[in-house]
Amino acid sequence: MSQFQRFLAKRIAIAAGLTLVAVSVIFFTLRLLPGSPFTQLVASGNLSEQQVNDIMALYGLNQPLLDQYVIYLKNLVTFQFGYSIRQSRPVWEILGPKLFNTLILLVPALVTTAVLSTLLGMYAGWNRGSWLETGSIVTTTFLRSTPVFITALLVIIVFSYNLELFPAFGMREITASPSGFTDTYLSLDFAYHYILPFTVAVLYYSGDFLLLARNGIIEKKGSEFLKLHRAKGLTETEQLMRAGRNSLLPVLTYFALRLGMIFQGLILLEVVFGWPGIGRQLVTSISQQDFPVVQAAVFLMALAVIVMNLVADVMSAYFDPSVSAGGGS
Amino acid sequence: MSLLEIEDLTVTYGTDDVRVHAVNGVSFDVEKGVNYGLAGESGSGKSTAAEAILGLLPGNGRVDGGSVRFKGQDLLELSAEERRDVLWEEIAYIPQSAMDALDPVMTCGAQIRQAIQKHRNVTDAKARERIRELFDIVGLDPDRINEYPHEFSGGMRQRVTIAMALALEPDLIVADEPTTGLDVVVQDKIIDQILDIQERIDSSLLLITHEIGVIAETCDELSILYGGTVMEQGSVDNVLVNPTHPYTMGLKNSFPEVEQLSDDPVAIPGSPPSLGAPPTGCVFADRCPFETEECTAETPPTVDLPNRNHRSACHHTEQAAQMRRDAADPETWGVDPSDEDASATSDEEILRVDDLQKWYTTSQPLLDQLRGEDPPKVKAVDGVSFSLHHSEILGVAGESGCGKSTLGETVAMLEEPTGGDIVFDGKSVEEYKRGGMKEFRRNAQIIFQDPFDSLNPRQTVRQLVTEPLRIHGIAEDRQEEKAAETLERVGLTPAEEFLDDYPHELSGGQRQRVAIARALVLDPDFLVCDEPASMLDVSLKVNLLNLLRDLADESDIGIIYISHDLASLSQVSDRLAIMYLGRIVELGETARIVDDPKHPYTSALLSAAPEKDPTSDRERVLLDGEPPDPVDIPNGCAFAPRCPEASAECRETEPTLDEAGDDAHSAACYFPVDGTSHDTGESGSLSSTTADD
Repeated sequence: MSQFQRFLAKRIAIAAGLTLVAVSVIFFTLRLLPGSPFTQLVASGNLSEQQVNDIMALYGLNQPLLDQYVIYLKNLVTFQFGYSIRQSRPVWEILGPKLFNTLILLVPALVTTAVLSTLLGMYAGWNRGSWLETGSIVTTTFLRSTPVFITALLVIIVFSYNLELFPAFGMREITASPSGFTDTYLSLDFAYHYILPFTVAVLYYSGDFLLLARNGIIEKKGSEFLKLHRAKGLTETEQLMRAGRNSLLPVLTYFALRLGMIFQGLILLEVVFGWPGIGRQLVTSISQQDFPVVQAAVFLMALAVIVMNLVADVMSAYFDPSVSAGGGS
Repeated sequence: MSLLEIEDLTVTYGTDDVRVHAVNGVSFDVEKGVNYGLAGESGSGKSTAAEAILGLLPGNGRVDGGSVRFKGQDLLELSAEERRDVLWEEIAYIPQSAMDALDPVMTCGAQIRQAIQKHRNVTDAKARERIRELFDIVGLDPDRINEYPHEFSGGMRQRVTIAMALALEPDLIVADEPTTGLDVVVQDKIIDQILDIQERIDSSLLLITHEIGVIAETCDELSILYGGTVMEQGSVDNVLVNPTHPYTMGLKNSFPEVEQLSDDPVAIPGSPPSLGAPPTGCVFADRCPFETEECTAETPPTVDLPNRNHRSACHHTEQAAQMRRDAADPETWGVDPSDEDASATSDEEILRVDDLQKWYTTSQPLLDQLRGEDPPKVKAVDGVSFSLHHSEILGVAGESGCGKSTLGETVAMLEEPTGGDIVFDGKSVEEYKRGGMKEFRRNAQIIFQDPFDSLNPRQTVRQLVTEPLRIHGIAEDRQEEKAAETLERVGLTPAEEFLDDYPHELSGGQRQRVAIARALVLDPDFLVCDEPASMLDVSLKVNLLNLLRDLADESDIGIIYISHDLASLSQVSDRLAIMYLGRIVELGETARIVDDPKHPYTSALLSAAPEKDPTSDRERVLLDGEPPDPVDIPNGCAFAPRCPEASAECRETEPTLDEAGDDAHSAACYFPVDGTSHDTGESGSLSSTTADD
């Protein structure tokens, strides 16, 4: 087994272990919460004791906790998330589209900001002390530190209510009822609704990348190897690219981690723009104590973070030649 | 027309408050095919001058005047683009710190290819062929061109940069301290390599270094810089043999040499000038023992000395012969040599180390762990025994990676020994560990290599020096007084001026003194110094060595001085221990080891040290290869694979330290070197008395 394979095997084993811990925590925490999805129904007197027991049996909730846990794990391995208690639909049918809505908004936003802010940050770091550097840092720090719903509301007020350029709410016109993928996501109507939340997400994420890239460049700027590159006759831009390549690792790692966290959605952004994403769904389901939906949603989120952590580790090994050589310890 | 003509070059740096005048009207010419040396201490402007020539000045640096003519063309007048074309195609550069001069995320081959393809339109395959050829020329394995810099050792990385410099066969190679940070053996090999190659492609070399010895051995002409001005220049033979400038004389005095045990190196008193304003008068005047009114009033012009290639910027060149005679006397420099050889070591032992071992475990695959296999061990220190007396300085020498620093840290109990025993002041460390560790720590102190890292930047000198007293609860009412006394003892006078300074406000030499004061404030009996002078300039280094010598003589401290620099070791130590791969291969009185080394490794180390006298020819014993992998040490003598004398016996059984020599000088070798195989210049008088038994 090569060193890299060993490294990979080790990391995958760690990731699997972490996932197990995460799903167990979700399972038991939910069971520890007071009440159950049916408490409300029982309390309102609509259901008899017998009916409640029947329903509990139907969902397997009358079995010992440990048995429930084993069944739960078995189902997770095969990605069977069960049925929603409130909506009596398969959980995936509910979560799938919501997750997709979140991803289609946030992934392009994250990629865009990662590329643009990193390039800008590198340029700012290279020209240290310039107005561009100072200005970009102030702006992005402001955007990063302002709660995202404030920025969102501001954008809505300016571009939606005052200038009336873009709609303020939802993914499509209220009257529209598109069917099929093309109609839903590749229509002008969708793009029209997409622009504002997309822009706010881009701005919100920009600060971290900009600062990371700028600091990386500044750290590398005085280094001896860049001096040698310069002595070889490389142009400023070529030198900047080498400095960028050398400070890329933290940016990539951060990108991967952020990408994992995107599966949680940006709840406040989704609420303000009325975007039907996974974050909003999660909040609703928790308040309804819809166990299967919550379990599935949290599982997906945890899995995404863990997998992207793994990706970040592997990327470090790939992009930094000295990491894998150490056996990844 | 000379290849490179520097005329009246002036460079300044912008800082927050003042413009620093780093180079003030430097002129020199480098002829085709000539090796030219630029020498000087740090802050002399030598690197700045080189950067100005290459156009590599950092953003706050500015060329304020003068010209840099290369083949008749003023480089300073070229556009950025034209300048880039000249770089590497015509002027290549070998950078200072080999360890981080290569791009860590690019293979070595790709970096060289980049240099080639930047200037010439060649295919990847052609470039590859050339890179393999270059690797071969500099003595690297051509199959390793696709490896990353971290897979090479420091010396090998420097070879990669040399290969890169050669790639386009430039007319001029500028090498900025190419061997700083490498140990003597590697340094010697690299210098040899540069000379060999430069001869082969017939280029000129501009060598920038603070080591006069390196220049004496490699260069034809040199300029000595001080405070950004040329003090003296001309042919190496003239300048170094018959210096006419007091600074050159002082610099030469302070450069320690292995063989000259008799005359202690003498430091130039004072510190380099601050260059906040362009100098008026001679920049060296306030440190010069021959200074007159004229010197401070008027900048001395650089005048040609009659009938030889030699120029000097001193008002008193006509009295050069007299000055040379005076300069040889330490008293001229305000040094009192009276306590010479008062260093009678006492018979009382302060430290005895017996078969000391320090092994490190390396990581191993999980499966091997499960199988219960022993993890591979790095035997950093493997069975070392020696003793140290009061007022004695024991020098520990060896290449990097030989375990000398680990040895120092282990005897100071900063690392837990794997095996063996340390007896300190008559008590085993095992006893100290049962409750007396604080007492041990108070009596055994260590000074680290890098004064920039070993002092807490958030503490003032006062806090730094009184901290050990507070920890040990000593002299609670007069801690400050004691701190001040100690600071004055290490030469930071008056102490009041320094007490409130933070480390970054001090110079490198001052910081190292604070580090020493911190160790001495507890009046320890035993001191470990781990390369304390390696970051310091020659004259500061000499000051430090003299200080340690005084401490040993006057305060009865036993000192272990660890260094790879045999020249300074032999100046300061009473006895020397030569280490190779975790073992002491030779141990004995300094004079006897230096005059008559028995172990082939010792003689190789000794021969690698450069000499400042350009007229003496030194016989190089170049060691083959690198030290073997410490995880996988060969059977028998660890040095056998690189040893010219090795026989089958050496490869099978390991010689012990009592294999050759007597009590005062022993070596672990079956075939000790006879007499004086290295070029001492003077014959080793002790050699005949110690035949091998």
